[in-house]
Amino acid sequence: MALLEVTNLKTHFTTRDGVVRAVDGVTFEVKEGHTLAIVGESGSGKSVTALSLMRLIPDPPGKIVDGRITFRGESVLGMNDSAVRSMRGDRIAMIFQDSMTSLNPVFRVGYQIGEALRIHKGMTRKEAHARAVEMLDLVGIPNPAQRARDYPHQFSGGMRQRAMIAMALACDPDILIADEPTTALDVTIQAQILELMIELQQRQGTAIIMITHDLGVVADMANDVMVMYAGKQVEYGKADEVFYRPLHPYTWGLLASLPRHDVDEKGTLLPIEGQPPSLIDVPPGCAFHPRCPYAQERCKREIPELREAAPAHLTACHFAGQAGFGQGAAGKGEGVA
Amino acid sequence: MSARRRKPGFPPDADPDSPKAAYRGGPDGEQTGGSSDYVGDDLANRPERTLWGDAWIRLRKNKLAIIGLVWILIVVTLTLSADFWVPQNFASPTSTDAGSLEAPSAVHPFGTDRIGRDVFSRVVYGARVSLAVGVLAVGISLVIGLLMGALSGYYGGLVDTLVMRTADIFFAFPYTLFAIALLAVLGPSYHNVFIAIGILGWPSVARVFRSSILSVKENEYVDAARAMGASDQRIIFRHIMPNAVAPIIVYGTMSIGGAIIAEAALSFLGMGVQPPTPSWGAMLSEAKALMVAAPWLTIWPGFAILTTVLAFVLMGDGLRDALDVKMKD
Repeated sequence: MALLEVTNLKTHFTTRDGVVRAVDGVTFEVKEGHTLAIVGESGSGKSVTALSLMRLIPDPPGKIVDGRITFRGESVLGMNDSAVRSMRGDRIAMIFQDSMTSLNPVFRVGYQIGEALRIHKGMTRKEAHARAVEMLDLVGIPNPAQRARDYPHQFSGGMRQRAMIAMALACDPDILIADEPTTALDVTIQAQILELMIELQQRQGTAIIMITHDLGVVADMANDVMVMYAGKQVEYGKADEVFYRPLHPYTWGLLASLPRHDVDEKGTLLPIEGQPPSLIDVPPGCAFHPRCPYAQERCKREIPELREAAPAHLTACHFAGQAGFGQGAAGKGEGVA
Repeated sequence: MSARRRKPGFPPDADPDSPKAAYRGGPDGEQTGGSSDYVGDDLANRPERTLWGDAWIRLRKNKLAIIGLVWILIVVTLTLSADFWVPQNFASPTSTDAGSLEAPSAVHPFGTDRIGRDVFSRVVYGARVSLAVGVLAVGISLVIGLLMGALSGYYGGLVDTLVMRTADIFFAFPYTLFAIALLAVLGPSYHNVFIAIGILGWPSVARVFRSSILSVKENEYVDAARAMGASDQRIIFRHIMPNAVAPIIVYGTMSIGGAIIAEAALSFLGMGVQPPTPSWGAMLSEAKALMVAAPWLTIWPGFAILTTVLAFVLMGDGLRDALDVKMKD
């Protein structure tokens, strides 16, 4: 049994303009110690999926309208509030995107790292502080004993993200959800933060759900990749499968729009034409058809089912896997990983 | 736990962030320098301080705030110990030679009032009522207002509507009229004045605090706290309140002056503190008609109100700065 199983998750938001189907039928699982990357453009439902797992969707306006989330055999959606609270931060922890605002400015960094320990492990202030210093050391902050007494504004962006990681991992959670943890950082720091996460994952055996719009970021660390578009998953499978043998035109587009320096091609970046659709007014049929260069009549009418188009490799495209489909585009992703 | 101990070679020895920090100079930079004897016992060996402990250390550096605090302490000490050293009785003409409306002299340093009572002793004793009204009434407003504002801002929706519409009802009545009505129900007495003024003050506090909470709760660290498994109570009181409380401190200290004046108005109308108990506001009200003939009657209670309110404002301002951890030392 996988550590976390999500089946047909639907999270909708009721707004004045209509129902926003932010997540609309997503199915995946996370195995112990594995990394799942959720990839997609802004507004594709990645973050809402993550928040749903933690039951952090603001209600109203949001609501998980359908689906099952099973964590260690227990239904997350059936838990009462106090059970959810004792799961959050202890069994499933989260790192947020903006490290600059994710730390409370009025508390010392050490206090904040220790807070989860005091909530979940019943530690005293002193014990929690000692453990916080240990965690800061673990994430590579020099002079942790002194740095624990600093306020967040005395930390640089990269150090704050390290502190956030220390905070999330303090209780030794089973799953770490990282919502674009490197987006707000510059490239060199990004690489270090990712390296740190991989290192800590190997040491503590934490499963990671990595949310990103940057395929390059996940290439190194993901075991599985799920590509989302307009609240649905369009491709889901082993990382190698998705990177080397992508099946969905949207994934081809994502891979083609990556800057490459390993290929001596005098090419320009190939953007995906058009805009992601409004989630209130999703195009009929395949949501991607207005932007898909291979779209046919059938795509405008029929919603493609998620199906196993190759072994252990699911995709939601009518034509994926058919001989000759998307010739010349399918190889675009090769070598990225 | 030992399994988590740092292994050699990890993390990478040269942390990329440390040069950045080192360039910032000052204590931050030194801290990353790696020497274990950094700032001696000042920071490194002290047990972790609380927000309030830090605030006190920063407050001590603010001269104006300390002046305010010292003045408040002086006034409080003088008025509480008045029974032991004030020579004159505040309630009745003190001696046969005391005429009415006498100018300040050695016997009556602040002069005497219309019926020959010593103004000095009345000012000293008046501080009891005025300070108590200022602090207690504002305290009552703050307790109710903070709670209501926090609930309203944090939960929103129906709770918000209920609280804010109730506040609107309070705002809809003329202040003094409402206070008189309340006192008419409760009966005019010392304690009821606090209660009336306190109850009438909460809607403003609730409004200011609600708006403050609304902006603070959008911060990502509030989401982070929720994701950490913190309860609503913990999120409101630990994570939101300290970040939202700055405008309330300023508002609270300012309204101490307002409460002192409000007590004066109620006393003047006979609904407040009953004569002969002195209060600064009541003394001012009485002296109004004699302002030209006997200016000392207005000057001294006025001076007392002015300095005390100013002291509270200075201290409040200092407190606000002290609670802002980002202020440069």
